[in-house]
Amino acid sequence: MSSYSRIPPLLQPHTRLPTDDSILLVTSTLGASANWLIIRFLCEALGRDRTVQGAADDGAVPSEGKEDVAVVLVSWLRDWGFWKNEARKGGGLDLERLKRDKRLAFVDGLTKMCLADLHEGKPESAQTPIERFQGPHQRTPLPTGRAQPTVLPVRGPPGRINARIPGPTAGTSIADPASMSSIHQGPVAQFYITSPTLKDVRSAIEGAIRHVESTGTQRKTLLILDTPSFLLASNPDITTYALSAEVLHLHKFTSHILVHVPADDALISLSEPSQPIEVEGNNFLVKMAHMSTRILSCRVLDTGYAKDVSGVLRITENASARTLDLLNTERDGDERRGRELLYLVKGDGSVKMFERGAGGDI
Amino acid sequence: MAFRKRNVPLSRTEQKPGSPSVPASTEPSSAEVPQAITGVRPSPLDGRPTTSTGTPSLDAILAGHAGLPLGNSIFIGEQGTTDYAGALLRFYAAEGVVQGHRVHVVGMGEAWGRELPGLSEKDESGRKIKTSAEEEKMKIAWRYESLSVHGAERGERFKHAGTSLSGKTGEDQAIFCHTFDLAKRLMLPVGTAINYIPIAPQRNPFPSILQNLQNDLASTPPNTIHRLVIPSLLSPAIYPPISTRPDCVLQFLHGLRALLRLHPTQLTAIITFPLTLYPRSTGLVRWMEILSDGVMELSPFPYDYAQVLSAATKEEDKPQGIFAVHKLPVYSEKGGGGNVEGLGEDLAFTLSRRKFTVTKFSLPPAEGDTEAQEEAARGSGATPMPKKEDLDF
Repeated sequence: MSSYSRIPPLLQPHTRLPTDDSILLVTSTLGASANWLIIRFLCEALGRDRTVQGAADDGAVPSEGKEDVAVVLVSWLRDWGFWKNEARKGGGLDLERLKRDKRLAFVDGLTKMCLADLHEGKPESAQTPIERFQGPHQRTPLPTGRAQPTVLPVRGPPGRINARIPGPTAGTSIADPASMSSIHQGPVAQFYITSPTLKDVRSAIEGAIRHVESTGTQRKTLLILDTPSFLLASNPDITTYALSAEVLHLHKFTSHILVHVPADDALISLSEPSQPIEVEGNNFLVKMAHMSTRILSCRVLDTGYAKDVSGVLRITENASARTLDLLNTERDGDERRGRELLYLVKGDGSVKMFERGAGGDI
Repeated sequence: MAFRKRNVPLSRTEQKPGSPSVPASTEPSSAEVPQAITGVRPSPLDGRPTTSTGTPSLDAILAGHAGLPLGNSIFIGEQGTTDYAGALLRFYAAEGVVQGHRVHVVGMGEAWGRELPGLSEKDESGRKIKTSAEEEKMKIAWRYESLSVHGAERGERFKHAGTSLSGKTGEDQAIFCHTFDLAKRLMLPVGTAINYIPIAPQRNPFPSILQNLQNDLASTPPNTIHRLVIPSLLSPAIYPPISTRPDCVLQFLHGLRALLRLHPTQLTAIITFPLTLYPRSTGLVRWMEILSDGVMELSPFPYDYAQVLSAATKEEDKPQGIFAVHKLPVYSEKGGGGNVEGLGEDLAFTLSRRKFTVTKFSLPPAEGDTEAQEEAARGSGATPMPKKEDLDF
C-alpha cells in the first residue's frame, strides 16, 4: 500500500497542491487536532513521488507530469519523534529516509526554543524572557547523547543509517552566525529554532530550505508551519504584521506554504477586556485566511462525542483563487466552494472520510 | 502477556518506608525483564510505557492506555474555591513516593509533602487487604486479567492488588496503583523523596524551575522516573504577578513540553489550575491547554448540607461535581478517534477518604415531585404528544 493511497479518496482533491504558488491554511481546535491532516499533506507531497521515481511499487498510477516536491516541516509544538511515528503509522512514510535523501527537512521549534541548554551553564534563570530576547544566543547543539524521543522502536536495520551518511551538507554555508549555531552538523542536518524571535526563526527555516534545495534538482518546495501563532502568544514583541510579513518572505523561496493555526473560539474571540494575546491571534488568523487559497478546518462534532466520528472537516476554497482556477475545466464549481466532510481517525492511524449520513458502514 | 512482573527494584527502593528489601529472585519471571521499573507498565494499546496517576479511575479514562503515558502532562482546571484537584495531586505524588519515583513539587514547602496520604490498610471497598495466602490464590486470576477488556473496570480490578507496603514479599512489586487513605499520613523517607522547587518572588520564577528540573533529570540515572507536581499554577498566593504574563507562563509550558518530549520514558507532570481566576474562555488559558497533553476540568457542585449528612450514613457516595475531559494524552494528538471506553459520557467525580473516583454521571429520578409528574401526564392527555411524522428531525 503506497503512501498516496493512505489519503481517503474524498480528501484527495483537497490535499493536492494547487498548480500556482499559494498559501494553504489548516485550523484545528483543542479536541480536534489537525496532525492527521498534515500527515496526509506529507503523503501527497512525498508519497506519490516515490512511486513515480521508484517505478511501479504496487501498480500505482504513473506520473501525470507531476513535479517533484520537497518539504520543509517546521513544528513549534511537536517533536520529530511524533511526526516520524505518526507518518510511519498513518501515512506509511519513512521520514528518516526522506530526510537523508534531502526530500524533507525538519525544523525543531520545540525542544530548544524555550528550554535553556544545560550545557551552556549560564545563570539564565536570573533573566526574564524579555531579557533573553535581546541578541541571539550562541548555542552549541547538544552532544550526540541526546535522548531521542522515540516511543516505538524504529524498524529497519540500524546499520543502514551509517551506510548513508551524506557528506558535510552543502547549502549550509551561511554567513549569519546565529543560523550556523542552529544547524547540527550530524549525520543528518538538524535545524533548531533557539529562541522565540523572528530572527532565529527566519535563519533556521532559511537554512532548512537551502538544505533541501542543495540537491540541485529543480522542484517545488512545500513549507509546513505548524502553529506559528505560538510565537505571537509567547513573545509580545512580535506583531501580527511582522509574523505575516515573515510568512510572505518565506513564500519567496517556497512555492507552497501550509500554515496550521489553532482556531479555538477562546483564541480568536475577544474576552472582556480583550487581551493582546487574543487580538494578535485573531488578526493573524484572519490575515492568513485572506491570504490562503484553501482553508481546511477541523472541529469536533457540534452535537457532542460520537464513537464513529472524530470530527468535522470544513473545506473552503478562496473565491478569488477559484475564479482563476475556472480555466481548469475539471473543476466542478460549487461543490468545491465549501463542503463539510466527517472524518474518523482510527486507532491504527488510518483515516476514513465520509459525507454526512454516509458513515454507517464502519 | 501484557503484564510482566517487575521485580527488579530500583536502587532507591530501600528508601521506601517499611518496604521489605525484596530479593529480585523471588519470582522466576524477574529474569525476563531486566529493565523493569517499578510503577511503570506498557500500555495495552501500543506498548508505550505508562505510569499510574495514583487514582485508578483516572487511569482508566486515559484513552485506553490504563495509565498516564510517560512523557505526557495533564492539566486539571478547577472551578470554584474547592481543592479537589489538590487531592488528585496528592495521590499522584504519594504514588510516586511509594513507587520510588523522584517527585518534584513546585512552589510548596515541606508541609505539603508531610500531608501526603498514607497507604491504606484496606482496599477501596473497605475490605481488609488480603493475606499472603489469599494473594497466592489470586495469582491465577491475575494472569488472566490481561486477556479481558481494558477499560473502566481495570481500575476496579487493581484494587485486588492493593496490598500495603508492609505486605508480602514480592507481591508489592506488581502493584501499579496503590490505595491511599487521606486520613493517614505517608511516612516520608528521610529527606530525599521529594524535591521541593521554590518559587522566586519578585521575578519570573519559571526559568529556575525548568533548570532545577533539567539538572535533576541529568543527574539521576536514566531509568529513574520523575513526577512533576505543579499545584495551583499562577495562583496569586504562590506566584508573583509577573508570572501571569503570557510570555512568562507560555514559555514555561513550552519548555516543559520540550522537556517531556526529550525524556519520553522518564517524566510525567500534572498541573492544577484555578479556573475561577483565569477563565477557560481566555486566550491565555487556551494556549496553556494546547501546550498540555491532557486537559480536564472539575466543576464541583454547590455545597449541600443534606448531602454531607447523607454521606455519613449512606453507603454510596453522591457525586460531588462534574468531571469534564477536554483533551486526552496521545489520543487527542493523533486526531481523536476510535473506540474509547467512557469518552463522551458525562462524568462525575466523588472524593471520599480513600479514593477519588470518576464515574458516569446520571441524574437520579426526582423524588417527591409527584405533582409535577401527574401534571405532566394530564397535560399530555389534553394536548397529545406530537405524532412521529410531525416531529422534525
